[in-house]
Amino acid sequence: MRTIVLLLILVCSTLLSLSAQESADGDVATAIRALESDWVAAQSRDDNRALDLMFDNALVYIEYGRLVTKGDYLSRVKSAKPQLSQIVMEPMTVRTFGSTAIAVGTYRDKSVSDGKAHFGRWRFVDTWVYKNGRWMLVAAAAAPLSK
Amino acid sequence: MVILLACAGTSSGYAGDSESEVAPKILAMEHMWGQAYLNKDPKALERILDDAFVNVDSDGLLETKAEVLAEVRTSSVLQFLTESMVVHLHGNTAIVTGVFLIKGVARGKPYAQRERFVDTWLYKNGQWVSIAGLVTRVEQ
Repeated sequence: MRTIVLLLILVCSTLLSLSAQESADGDVATAIRALESDWVAAQSRDDNRALDLMFDNALVYIEYGRLVTKGDYLSRVKSAKPQLSQIVMEPMTVRTFGSTAIAVGTYRDKSVSDGKAHFGRWRFVDTWVYKNGRWMLVAAAAAPLSK
Repeated sequence: MVILLACAGTSSGYAGDSESEVAPKILAMEHMWGQAYLNKDPKALERILDDAFVNVDSDGLLETKAEVLAEVRTSSVLQFLTESMVVHLHGNTAIVTGVFLIKGVARGKPYAQRERFVDTWLYKNGQWVSIAGLVTRVEQ
């Protein structure tokens, strides 16, 4: 009898633990989606301070086959002309692995250079790590989607 | 019982090593990855890619672990060289960036591509596994 009770407690505790884990994973996914949205919003208003807070100092960013550091990225945002580019996020998937989260999705962008508008669609992979009480972006990369 | 319950809620473990200790292990597995394409042998990759692994190729296509393993089996790669690899460690997560040059023959035509990649590795159940990757062509 005692063994059965112990087994029941173990099963219930494990189920509760799994349920709590699923809930925690859902919370993390929501937090990461919000951060991805914040990133786009901060960039659209050239808010370097907000980007500085969400980017890890060792951030690696890859676009057009080039490796860009956090410093390079922030300098570029600082010197960018306002309202010359637009990003529209599409649905994304967030996978959580404890204190690490991977966001995969697509976005469309429109930029203007030399008076001409350029349109593109990209697939991205972003890696977020929970550090010092908050989620920080440690790696981000995007590849152009073939038409 | 208490120990069992405690274990049920723990994360997957922590590497506990410094960047200089972790980097050679990760780089060795990156080289193994390239060798898998050369040898059309996905065996080693099966072990180092997490089941939830996702990759974005240079055409922006999303690939699962199973799709990457299938790609390796039918690989047309004849040369695979990696360069400029750097490892950044963030606790039990490691980010690797680098460039590789691949040469091969596809549909009777030779090709050569230089691509930059970023891979995310996670220390899980006592070993490093890759959980995500992205490849994009280096502009000439």
